Amino acid sequence: MKHVTRAYRALANRHGMGAALFVAIAVTLWVVVFITLPQLSMLDYSFRFNLPADQIGTEADHYTLSNFHSFFFNADGSLNRLDLVILGRTLLAAAIVTLIDVIICYPIAYILAHGAKGVAARLMVIGLIIPYWINEILRAFAFRVLFGATGVVNTVGMQMGLWDVPVDFIRADVALYFGLSYAYILLMIFPMYNAIEALDHTQVEAARDMGAPLWRVHWRVVLPIAKPGIVSGATMVFMLTAGALAAPQILGGPSNLWFTQVIYQWFNESSNWPRGSAYAVVLLLTCISFVLLMMRVFKVSVGEIGK
Amino acid sequence: MSRAVVFGGAYAIAFFSFLFGPLIIMVITAFNSSKFPRIVPWDCFTTGWFAELFGNQRLMEGLLNSVIIGVGVVALAVPIGLAGALALSELPSKLRAMLYTVLILPILIPGVVLGISTIVLWGQISRGLGGAVQAGMYNGYFLTIVGQITFVSAYAMLVFIARLQRFDATQTEAALDLGATPGQAFRKILLPFMAPAIGSAAFITLLASFENYNTTVFTVLSESTFTTALASKVRHGTDPSLSALAVIIITITLVGALTNEAVQRRKEAELGGKASRSPLYANPLTRALTHPGVVFAILVAIVATVSYVGSKHDSSVCEAAILQDKLDRQAELRAAQKAKIEAQEVEQGITVPKPEGGFGGAFGGLGGAAPVAPAAPKPEGGFGGAFGGIAPPAPSE
Repeated sequence: MKHVTRAYRALANRHGMGAALFVAIAVTLWVVVFITLPQLSMLDYSFRFNLPADQIGTEADHYTLSNFHSFFFNADGSLNRLDLVILGRTLLAAAIVTLIDVIICYPIAYILAHGAKGVAARLMVIGLIIPYWINEILRAFAFRVLFGATGVVNTVGMQMGLWDVPVDFIRADVALYFGLSYAYILLMIFPMYNAIEALDHTQVEAARDMGAPLWRVHWRVVLPIAKPGIVSGATMVFMLTAGALAAPQILGGPSNLWFTQVIYQWFNESSNWPRGSAYAVVLLLTCISFVLLMMRVFKVSVGEIGK
Repeated sequence: MSRAVVFGGAYAIAFFSFLFGPLIIMVITAFNSSKFPRIVPWDCFTTGWFAELFGNQRLMEGLLNSVIIGVGVVALAVPIGLAGALALSELPSKLRAMLYTVLILPILIPGVVLGISTIVLWGQISRGLGGAVQAGMYNGYFLTIVGQITFVSAYAMLVFIARLQRFDATQTEAALDLGATPGQAFRKILLPFMAPAIGSAAFITLLASFENYNTTVFTVLSESTFTTALASKVRHGTDPSLSALAVIIITITLVGALTNEAVQRRKEAELGGKASRSPLYANPLTRALTHPGVVFAILVAIVATVSYVGSKHDSSVCEAAILQDKLDRQAELRAAQKAKIEAQEVEQGITVPKPEGGFGGAFGGLGGAAPVAPAAPKPEGGFGGAFGGIAPPAPSE
């Protein structure tokens, strides 16, 4: 608290009372009203029964663990395999998509930082940003055009005689994996690029002169520098992929749900908000613990993210 | 070394084809008259999907809602983001790391969770207040703005942090030494320095608000924004009018990117003192032509001309021909079928005496192991032939 008041006074001295008050009020509002309170409220809601409006506040309205219990177990006490499997599969798929992105983005980030110069570099940056300006829904739609039953991949493949019955790429989740890997490429490349750019290129040349093969240069010289960038990008891609809703709705197979779709169903189709809140809490906690675990494994701090 | 360059170049080309291939294909499908968005088989060149797009009531209403919400979000998220960046600049490092984590968290939290927590909190608050406040507070506009601010402010903040890092604090000190009040220094030194960042933060927040789906789909309640209307359209069947939308957005993006490139180049040339050396800038005509404003005007003129010519294009003749073609083929098929049935009827009349073999073959194919194995493999009757075309009558032993 002492530090906060000191910072406030420093702000007031440098920028004036008005600016300091504005900063204090805006940040407090943001942290308390927009970030903290909604999460607490959702947590509170997840421990309640799904009651009709007139019973809220009456004796029936008390805390319960039933929403979480029914996430883990069915009514007959057996494990709720359906929801648990969906959550597990969502996390696994998000991890795979993140890994794919790391692998395909690393060479580009390296080329951008140390290979391309002048016009080529600027063109590459523009080329990376332009797809990101196009609506997420339309990007998913593009993959539907590509992989649909009458899509380009199917017609071309059949004309070339590779297969003779349309392959259902949507049901096989191929379209979904492509769409999700595509969606967040930019968020992977830029942190990686920022990290790799800090590397002095003479180090790479020195390693080459000493006779190190290319893969070894990357493994021993570039990767250690790139690591914070990779972890930062991977964290963002993982969280956004695990929390994606549009792409699974548009590109996902009808039988393979994403965990966010389950939450969506509890809210919008079953109108069971407490249960939906409980599932949202579960998603949030598992995602955050997964990311923290990964950060612990790779020894990187949260402060690196977003830089 | 040159092998590495070749490999790198090849990889970059492959990577950018992955990035642009789907978009290019989508753009092409916007001009095919086929009801499904596809390239092959190509039916007719048409511009009709653009008309269909603008005729979509729900999308156009959503567009208006998105603009309203976007303006609200920009008006609130940019100042909040600026405040966040300023607060971080003054805090001691340990507290700064903590606050940074808290403020950056909304970008990482799944959008679904943000949306849910927003409607739960404000639902409870408005229920507690009741009456007119409830109506004013618990509606799609208010909730969406509040929900989006949570994470959009963090984007604005990142832009401001990057700009603040380059701020020379001695400027403010000089102003204070010369007798300016802190408030004056803030308004006259810091804010003008931040002006470009305020512009780009406003742009980024507007785009983020406009594009957002995961949070908005919960907070918008019964209304719809452009993106949620788009998503429900894609989910309930696809047609090429969405590709037409992509064409429009990509065109706007390209015009913006090219103009920006012109601005950057000019700035660079002027800063670097190359202006006198570059032949483009020495000649008054080419100098005027490469001016960003002129570049922008030329691009807009090209787009306008192409859209005007496109709107005059009439593909109805070609489409009618395709339709006629399809009808003809259908009629042909029907005639062929009819002829086949007639032929069968005639044949049936002949083969009536020995139908057993025919049935045996037909059912043998459906039922798997046929009980009359010796008779089944070679059906001779008319039915055997007729059904044989559908399900091969070979019984699996």
